[in-house]
Parts: sequence; structure tokens; C-alpha cells
Amino acid sequence: MIASRLLQLPLILLAVYTITLALAWAVPGNPLDRPEGRRPDPEVAKAMLARYNMESFGGFYVSYLEDATGLTWVKGEAKGGPVFDLGPSLQYPDRSVNEIIAASLPVSATIGALAIVVGLAMGLTAGLIGAAFPRTWLDSGSLALAMVGISLPAFVVGSALQMVFSLWLGWFPVAEWGRARDLVLPSVTLGLPYAAYIARLTRLGLAEQLSSDYARTALAKGVSRRGVLVRHALPNAILPVVSYLGPASAAAMTGSFVVERVYAIPGGMGQHFVNAVQNKDLFLIIGVVLVFSTMLVMLNLAVDVVYRWIDPRIGAGEG
Amino acid sequence: MLKFAAPVLLLIACVAAFVVSDPPRPRADVTLINRSEIATLDPATMSWAQDFRMARLLGEGLVRQDVFTRAMLPLPGVAERWEIGDGGRELRFYLRPGAVWSDGSRVTAAEFVYSWRRNLLPETGADYAGLFKLLEGGEAFYEFRKEQLKAYRESPGTPERAAEAWAIAEREFETRVGVKAVSDGELVVRLERPTPYILDVLAFPAFFPVHRGTIERFTSLDDVTGELRTDPKWTRPPSFVTNGPFVLTEWRFKRGMRLERFEGYWNNAAINVDSIECPTIEDPSAQVMAFTTGAADWVFDVSAPYRAEMLARRDRFWERHAETVARMRAEGADDLELARALPGEPDGFLHVFPAFGTYFYNLNCAPRLPDGRVNPLADARVRRALALTVDKESIVRNIRRCGERVASTLIPPGSIGGYESPRGLGRDAEEARRLLAESGYPGGAGFVTLEVLFNKDGGHDLIAQAVAKDWERELGISVRLVMKETRVFKDDLRLGRYMVSRASWFGDYGDPTTFLDVNRSDDNNNDRKYVSERFDGLLATAAELHADPAGRMGVLSRAEAMLVEEDLPLLPLFHYVELNLFDARKIAGATTHARQVQDLTRLDVLGDGKGADRAPEMER
Repeated sequence: MIASRLLQLPLILLAVYTITLALAWAVPGNPLDRPEGRRPDPEVAKAMLARYNMESFGGFYVSYLEDATGLTWVKGEAKGGPVFDLGPSLQYPDRSVNEIIAASLPVSATIGALAIVVGLAMGLTAGLIGAAFPRTWLDSGSLALAMVGISLPAFVVGSALQMVFSLWLGWFPVAEWGRARDLVLPSVTLGLPYAAYIARLTRLGLAEQLSSDYARTALAKGVSRRGVLVRHALPNAILPVVSYLGPASAAAMTGSFVVERVYAIPGGMGQHFVNAVQNKDLFLIIGVVLVFSTMLVMLNLAVDVVYRWIDPRIGAGEG
Repeated sequence: MLKFAAPVLLLIACVAAFVVSDPPRPRADVTLINRSEIATLDPATMSWAQDFRMARLLGEGLVRQDVFTRAMLPLPGVAERWEIGDGGRELRFYLRPGAVWSDGSRVTAAEFVYSWRRNLLPETGADYAGLFKLLEGGEAFYEFRKEQLKAYRESPGTPERAAEAWAIAEREFETRVGVKAVSDGELVVRLERPTPYILDVLAFPAFFPVHRGTIERFTSLDDVTGELRTDPKWTRPPSFVTNGPFVLTEWRFKRGMRLERFEGYWNNAAINVDSIECPTIEDPSAQVMAFTTGAADWVFDVSAPYRAEMLARRDRFWERHAETVARMRAEGADDLELARALPGEPDGFLHVFPAFGTYFYNLNCAPRLPDGRVNPLADARVRRALALTVDKESIVRNIRRCGERVASTLIPPGSIGGYESPRGLGRDAEEARRLLAESGYPGGAGFVTLEVLFNKDGGHDLIAQAVAKDWERELGISVRLVMKETRVFKDDLRLGRYMVSRASWFGDYGDPTTFLDVNRSDDNNNDRKYVSERFDGLLATAAELHADPAGRMGVLSRAEAMLVEEDLPLLPLFHYVELNLFDARKIAGATTHARQVQDLTRLDVLGDGKGADRAPEMER
């Protein structure tokens, strides 16, 4: 199963590449135009289009594909460039897309990973509490909190946390970066919606497990409610959470435009998803989309592996 | 339970690794916020004000400008002295032996020749190639190389053909273009014609030398196109070799830059700070917060959401000290002297500097629009009528609210020494209606719906609404607002697919031609499709009047008068300002000159015991 998933990856990426390029290409306006300032000589502008192979869709499609898949490198035409060349950035002429992603992915991945940890810790706790004390104020309270977490957009949560913890209490710095405590507020902001979703998944999963026959049998035989919850119900209830973690991690780790803006996190990935499109930075658009798709596929694969580890019955039948 | 703990522990380990690998840097002497990432440090291809600001810290041309004099007098830079001969057509520069690159080697005359040649190669895509056409043979060489490359692409390329073509181009440059290295220390520059403002142009970053050895390591000939290609990585430390007072020690994408004093700089003794940190902060509130919490010392050009409110607070602060303000203003003190005389309250940290740019509307002069419609604006009387009916005062006061000056000219008055601005048109609805009737549209009858094109964001929509309302009310015509995405908007401008459009222009050097040239009939940036033999003729006359500076300025002023009083291919609305945020009692070195060239090599942290610890005074 894992092998077939890996084989699917190139096909998925090719489809994503084709659709993304077609859409980005259809956006009107010359990507080499500057938003302000003087205009280059028309013939120079034409020569620049030629330099980036942007005269025709077909030409660009093939040449970029060759660069990005490493075919150019295999053919020995890369001239010392990287194996997988995602091209130059049009917006930042001194940078290549490879470089931009290499600089921004670690930043976003760190916050994203932490956000998932925050989401898991808070979500599982809230879900467990809710299930342990059903139909009490703790249960309804944790579910209500989850509702709020899902509903509130990150720019509201982010600004509120910043107001309280940075400006009023002075616990965390504003717009600084590089120390462990600079990571706290962004990860919490990014992690809250995940926490909320996980709390609901856990709470509902546990409720279902607790009402199943094996749980009632265990309770009847005198196992404590806590024991049943943690030892028997949780491992089963957590499966939907695990499958949710795949796409959630991919989304969290490739950055959030809003969180990066609110906390002025320098150089995250999220901004490129928005800015590259606005700037019509063709190479960067395709670059970030390809990286995101790859991560999505790989993390879903990882989820499958974890699934088998948690519950060996899954996939056993397929051999 | 271990099953759940393992991944969590793994993640925590990753985070710890990240934090350890990316520790915060020690604080620099000064921290300046860049509002967006520096696009490029290659002087040949840069075009943004903040890129130029960095270029002036890291590099130096033959001459520099004294930004604290009204006329922006030239100061010696890499050249310690120069002679001007042949009636102003020939300049001979003597390079100081002490001017060195950050790798210790001498800055030679041959490197200037090499650097300027790069700008004249069409494949470099230099933004300011046009300025290099002031050099004798510059334009001829540019055209030659362009044709050569075009011919090259017609048959299949080989490395041999590319090398051969390049060798010919090199020879061609040597024989045709008026820039020669006589020796390491002597450079002769010949001009196409005497150019009174040439020293000002030579202080512009595009004319800075670049380190030949470094660029050549990153450059190769592309045999498909025959072009010389340079890998932009050459501008990254540690490869980047520069000749300015500071060296770039770190440039992290979207994070910022760090500059350290270059001890080998010939005028190192005049530099007052040891290190400069330039974080990139794009979010407007984060910029302001970084400043208020003390993490940054200077925000250039405060972002739009904060401008009006901060300015209102500054105005109230001034009102509280009205007496001092009035007295110092009468003495001719500028904003910064004023700020240093007033108490150091945060409300007084905002400084409004005039910018060397104007916000205006293009009025399309072409007889027909590209879609075949007759263009009513082709009639100059109609354009004048439109200009006479806009309430610019209200736009500045109620919409922009940043202390801009209302504009009736294209060139900001007072920005260029020795230049007298024309008066321009005022507001006169009566006269406007008369002109409109005269051109066949009495009371607006029969006038097609006028379209006003502008790009989204930036508040252009509010201004367009105000202008449209004025025209509808005063002239009885109907107006339609058309908002487009910036790149589409730019396409429309280039192709003349509009009637009225939002526009702006910023000057590059201290001569009226930096604004007027774009209205020449054959100029590539003449979006207005303005064709006037008389206007072109006045510019040509001025070019011949190099020996008579006052007469020349007079002719240029007449040319501008044609634009803003008679033909109105453009409708000036206001002159831009820049709102800077810094404590003038702590940070010195900013200029309030109307051309807004910030030469940060004059930066000084007052009272830190380093350097002069005295604010340079603006010439009154």
C-alpha cells in the first residue's frame, strides 16, 4: 500500500502542477511588469520574457517541468544549479525559489509542528474531560470552548493574545524572533482551531466507544471509569484524530498567512501563498504549491503508517 | 502511553534544535525597519527607494551628494577631484588611491568602465539604462547590442558564436562609448552633449562601481540567446564585495540585513555608527509596535493605516507648544530642528518630509481609444476644464490626511535649486464650463461617460470618487469608475486603454528633465500619448542651452507650464510626503531636503559617545 502511494506521488504532483500553472498563467498582466516606476524598453521586455521561457504556455510548461523534476540536471544542462530547480523569483530577483522555500519552510514547520502539539495537548485533554464527566458543566464548557476555537479567526485570536500577553502583561515580546518564547503565542494562535477540532473528534469518539458493548462489559466487571476511558476507549477513539492529523499537519507546517502577519514572523511560508499570487510571481506560486502538495501526500502516508502502529489490525488483511 | 509521547518528544526536540540554531543577534547601534524585503542589491537593476538607501550605505560612486545643502552639492567620493573640459562635454576624474573594495583591492577606473557597460547591455535589463545614454555613444552601443542579439537568435546558437558576438560587442563599446580608463586612478567620461546636472546623475546608485572579479565569477555567456547572464547570487554575503562605508555581513530572506562598519573605507573617520540592523517588517502594526517597544529606531514611511492618526497627534503636540513652533518656523528651522527643541514626547517622533514625487491623473490625449471610440479628452480645452474643477484641497485634507501639499505642477516646487515652477491652474468652475461649452459640450450635453481607471488598494478609489463627484457636479458629465488589479492596470496604461487614470512619478536626479522627459512624444513612459512638437522643441532647446543655466531653467519652466497650464496631459493632485518615525533627539543624520535622498552614511546616535554626536544642520 505504501509503495503504491509513493508511486501515486509523481502523478498527483503533475496534475497539481498543470492545474496551478494553467490558473496562474490565465491571470492577466505581465509578470515581469513592475507595479510602480519606469517601464523597460519594449524590446528588452520581450527579451526578458524570452529569458524566462515565458513567451508561450507550452514552452514554459515543458522547460519548467524539466528544471523542477531534475531532467535538466540529468541532461547536464543545469550549469551548476540545483538538481530540482524551481526557478528564479520574479519578485525578488536576487533569490531563487529553492532558496526562498529553504529559508521559509523551517520557520513555518517549527510553528506548525508546535501548533499541532498544542492542538493535540489541548484537544485531547478537553475531549477526555468532556467524556469523563458527560452532561456536566465541564463537558458543555469544553465543547463550547471548542466551538469558539473553531469559529474565531486567527487575526482576532492573535491580536487578542498579543494585547493581553504582550502589551498588558508584558510576558512575551512583540514582533521578535529567534528565541523559544517567541514561538509561544504564534503556535497557540495557530494551534487553537486544531485543538478545537481534535477536542470534538475525541469527545465524540469516546462517547461512541463508551456506549459500545466491550466498554459496558469492562465497567460491569468493575474496571474503573477512568481505566476504561484511557486504556480501552482512547486507543480506538483516537483513530479519527490521527487521520485528521495528516492534512492538518501539512496545512499547519506550510504556514499561515494571517498568523505570520499578526506576529510579524519573518520569512514564513504562508505569506508566499498570498503574495506570490498577488505579484504574479509565477515560479514562486508553482514552487510553494508543489512543496505543499508533496508535504500533504507524505504526511497522509505517515498517518497510514501510524495507523498500523496504533492498531495492527488495519492493513493486516491486505498483506 | 509511549506511543503517544514519542512523536511529541520528537517535535519538542525539533523545536529545541531550531531555537539553538537560530539565536537572536546582539543589538546593533541603530535598527532601521525596512517595510518590505530589499528586492535587489545589484545597483544596475534596483528601482525601489529603500534599495537605493541600502545601496548608498554599501557602495559609493565617483561623487556623493551633500543632502544637507539645498542644491545638493557634489562631494568627492571615490574620485578625490575632477576637471570639466571641452565646454562641459568631458569630465576627467582622479580616483583616490585609498578607495578600496571590502576585499582590500583598489577601486580602479577600469571597474567603473566595466560597471557602466553592464548598464548599457540590454540583457542586464537595467532600469536606468536611459541615464547611461547621456554618455557619448551610449545609446548607439545599446542599440547595437540589441540588434546584435536579435540577429544572433535568428540562427542556432553555439558557444563559439556567442563568444564571437560578445568579443565584437566589447570592441564596439571600447570604440564607441565615452568612458575610458586612462590608468587605475584616472577616468575620462565624454558626454553626448554637455549636461549641466551630470555630477548629480553620477551620484546615483546605478553609476556606482561593482566588483568585477566577483561578478565575472557568477557570469556566463548563454549560447542559446547569446546574452551575458549573471547569477544574482553575487550580491549575497560572503561573495558580495562592496566599496561603501559599511559591509553587508548578513542578508536573510524576509528577515533582514546586518551591516557593519568597513574599517577600510577611505572616510571611515566620518562614520558615526558601527553597526546597522535592518529587519524586514511588512505588517504595519508590527512596524509601529517594534518602534514603540524600542526594538527599532526608525520607521521610514509609516504605513497608511497609522498615518492620519499619528499626524493628528503630532499636530496636537505642536499646538501645545505653538509659541516655540511659530518662533522656530519663522527662523527657518526644519521639522527636525523643531523636534530637537521641543520636549521628547512620543507624539513628536513623527516627521513629515516632502517627497520628490507627485500624484496625478493621466488624461489620455490620443484622438481615439484603442477600441475605436472617439476620445473627448483629445481636445485640450476639455482636459483644462477637468483640471479646473477638482477640489484638490479637499482630497488632501479629507482623504489623504497626511500633510501633503496640493499640487498644481508636476515637479514639486522648491525641490530643484534654481528652478522656478510655473503657477499651474487653480480652481475655476465658471471658466471650466465655458471651455466645455466651447468644445461642443454645453453643460456636459453629448459628453460620453468619462471613465476613470485606477488600481486597487492604496486608497485610490476614494480619491477617484471625490474627483468624479466634482466633475459630475460642476460639469454635468457622467463618470464611471473602473478599478483594476495593478498589473492589468499597468497593461491598460501602456496600451492607452483608458480615458483618465491614476498615476504617479518620482524624480531620480536634481533636474526638471527627470519629470519632463516622460512627456516627450517618443518616451516609453508617455502613457498619456501626449504629442506636442512645441513641448518636444522646448526640451530640445533646453538641451542646447547648457552654457546658460538660468536660460535653460527658464525654457524648462515654460515646458512645464505647457503641461500644467495649457495642454494638461496630466492633472497634478498632490505632492507626496514621507512620514518618518524616529526620535530626532536620539537619531541624527536624516535630511528634510525636498528631494528626499536619505544618505544614511551620516547616521549618528546622539549621546552614545561614538562619532560626532551632533546633528548635521540643513542649509536654510
